Amino acid sequence: MTFRDGFLSDLIGRPVTIEQNGRRIVVGKIGDFVVGHPEDTFPRIDAIAVKTKSGDKLAPLSSVVDYRDGELLLSESPTVACPPDDETLYLVEDLLDKQIVDVDGRKVVRINDLELAQTAGALRVVAADIGAGGLLRRLTAGKIFSSLVERVPRTLIAWDNVAPLQDLNPSEIKLSVSDNRLARLHPSDLAQIISDLSAADAARIVGALDDETAADAFEHLDSDTTRAIIQDLGSERAADIIEEMDSDDAADLLGELPEEQQAELLAKMDSETADDLRELAQYAEDTAGGLMTTDYVWIYPHRTVGATIAKIREIAPETEFIYYLYVTDQAEKLLGVLSLRTLLLSEPEATIHSVMDSELVSVAADATSDDVASTIARYDLLACPVLDEQGRMLGIVTVDDAIDAILPERLKKQLPRVVGHKHRTRHLETAS
Amino acid sequence: MLRKIWLRALIVVGVLGPGFVTASAGNDVGGIFTYSQAGALYGYSTLWTLIPLTISLIVVQEMAGRMGAVTGKGLAGLIRENFGVRITFFAMAALFFINTAISATEFAGIAAACEIFGLSRYIVVPVSCILVFLFVLRLPNKIVERVFVVLSLVYLSYIVSGVLAHPNWQEVARGTLVPTLSLQTGFIVIVVGLIGTTISPYMQFFLQSAVVEKGSRARDLFAVRADIVVGSILAIVLAGFMIIANAATIFVSNQHLDAKHQITINSAVDVAVALKPLAGQYAAALFGFGILNAGLFTACVLPLATAFIVCEAFGFEAAVDRPFREAPVFYSLFAGALIVGALLVLIPNLPYLPLILFAQVLQGIVLPLELIMMLVIINRKRVMGAYTNTRTVNIISWVTAIVIGVLALIYVVQTILSQFGIGAN
Repeated sequence: MTFRDGFLSDLIGRPVTIEQNGRRIVVGKIGDFVVGHPEDTFPRIDAIAVKTKSGDKLAPLSSVVDYRDGELLLSESPTVACPPDDETLYLVEDLLDKQIVDVDGRKVVRINDLELAQTAGALRVVAADIGAGGLLRRLTAGKIFSSLVERVPRTLIAWDNVAPLQDLNPSEIKLSVSDNRLARLHPSDLAQIISDLSAADAARIVGALDDETAADAFEHLDSDTTRAIIQDLGSERAADIIEEMDSDDAADLLGELPEEQQAELLAKMDSETADDLRELAQYAEDTAGGLMTTDYVWIYPHRTVGATIAKIREIAPETEFIYYLYVTDQAEKLLGVLSLRTLLLSEPEATIHSVMDSELVSVAADATSDDVASTIARYDLLACPVLDEQGRMLGIVTVDDAIDAILPERLKKQLPRVVGHKHRTRHLETAS
Repeated sequence: MLRKIWLRALIVVGVLGPGFVTASAGNDVGGIFTYSQAGALYGYSTLWTLIPLTISLIVVQEMAGRMGAVTGKGLAGLIRENFGVRITFFAMAALFFINTAISATEFAGIAAACEIFGLSRYIVVPVSCILVFLFVLRLPNKIVERVFVVLSLVYLSYIVSGVLAHPNWQEVARGTLVPTLSLQTGFIVIVVGLIGTTISPYMQFFLQSAVVEKGSRARDLFAVRADIVVGSILAIVLAGFMIIANAATIFVSNQHLDAKHQITINSAVDVAVALKPLAGQYAAALFGFGILNAGLFTACVLPLATAFIVCEAFGFEAAVDRPFREAPVFYSLFAGALIVGALLVLIPNLPYLPLILFAQVLQGIVLPLELIMMLVIINRKRVMGAYTNTRTVNIISWVTAIVIGVLALIYVVQTILSQFGIGAN
């Protein structure tokens, strides 16, 4: 193994020679490189595909004696025919010119060249060149303007930051597109990437994500895109993902779907979630009912502060909006509100009833989004409860959803979420 | 997913879908000129060519639509993945050049159309340029959509001006159904011109990207195909009415005049002027408005689409909602195509006509090459899976490609020869 570090485009087309009776004879040209385990962080090159007069032949990397002055010297003439493309991964055939996700730069790019390097005792793919330098290098084959090409700043992304859009190896090893590399992204960045993709690629990417990551991404996608993806995923998987979404976003999404599909998806969810969503779906999108989530923390007034804190500590990892606790009676009628701050500053023995704020600020389910937003702004709230005519809790509208609803469309996409919340209503009470 | 404004515009304008819009993109300023000339010089006798032309257009567009729906990729991306960097580079360079030249003809059309109404091109062209920029900087989407819906209705004005010109319907029917072949060089040049303007290289790129962007998949192929078939037929019917309008007026009146007094057409706007005494001021104004509309629409869409397509091929960031520093190549290409197109019309001493001519020649060369690349890709199992061409479609497509190729070559040779004063026209 005597390759030096360099670019794939510099190696392709170079003469392949063997030594015979002390003379070097040319047997072919370098055509491609074969990677056996594309799922590795930095995939190792196992063999070279040599273009010979009698077809493409496979030369294992162990048969390489030397690479010098642009000539490859093998210990023996390759005789084994190259395996068909769907059985193995070829660098030129399968990777060069293809689209990938640059996980670090958070965008979809095309591979203009690949950088190979000797690391950990093997020749490996270490980076993808996605810049103009790589393009120029291939356009000019490094022959002319090579000094110019060297001057163009390189745009390399390390291979561990690359997520291919397609399964690299359809029949042999499934290199999952997610590979957890995409799951590292912030949901809004992931959504941005997904909306850059074609429907086919988008569905493939989402299909490879875990339900929670996919749900997070869905919450940031526009409904056209989500609808297309759902079509491709099938209702079983789509239902799993929608279950993981914020109930308000999930209800909005369902509301955009044709009734048949709605029913099909709801039927595949657990009944509690489905009931919540059905309820939410009745409200118009730009009203408090349409904006609210049923994911809030509620508690009975006779509990102690200490017990409540302990319980919150238990459920907090699963619940995101824990900053307000809503105190209700058995009939879910709202009695008071309690902030996490008040809770922490109160004596552990005090009852919730004694520390809660019973001056209630709330909106009705049919309040407009403007009304909700101005209520939240006027009272400096993080969330505002939505009550029915009998004063019973229907849900809460969080400040970020209220802002979303009144912001102009174009600003919305650029904003990250302030408050996330994902799960169903957390009951501090055990059934009693 | 509709962040690409030009596609959004395309999709919105096409009440029917991208198939119709792309086909009517052929009815731009250059198209109006060619159709008008066909009618003015040869009456109804070129109408029959529209029938095989429709079939070719449908075959070619169907391939692009199918490739988009099956692969979920644009044509530029597929060319890059199947033919590598170099061929893609030359294809994209040619596309950029051709589209910039077409933009220039659109601006020239806008300028000339407005000059009929007494507006100076030095006001109109920069204002149109700014309008186009505003679209990119995102006027509220709803307003953009409504403007384009209104503009798209203007395409119907061709039918109205055709009817207002009181054609002899019997002769229209005869010209459409009975092929007349003339071996006059001028006639051949016109027929080749009709093909060139009806099936332009950029249209396949447009359509395929629009199909992908709409999220159409292999299972939606029936809808995609229906849209393409109906859209192509409709767009060519509109073109037919342009021929009819001119045949019924300019051609008929020229019959009674000696060569000296005959009306000649040298630009699309000449048509509007010539129609006034012959078909009345409403028909003329409608035609002028049609030119303005076609020019504005194509001038909006073309530079933006070009920038998107080139960026798709090379993997550069392309988005109208990102700042310049995040998508410098995209913005430079867009501004380049737009500004160069406008400047070509505004600066008096620039070699505008030779450039346009060169663009047409280039288009004639690129089109058959593009069709061949499409045919190669669409027959690759690993790209198209079960949706490769059937034998029959392959035969029709290859014949189409070869006929178009040969005719385009004739066109190229004609254009070059006429530059040296040889040949007709």
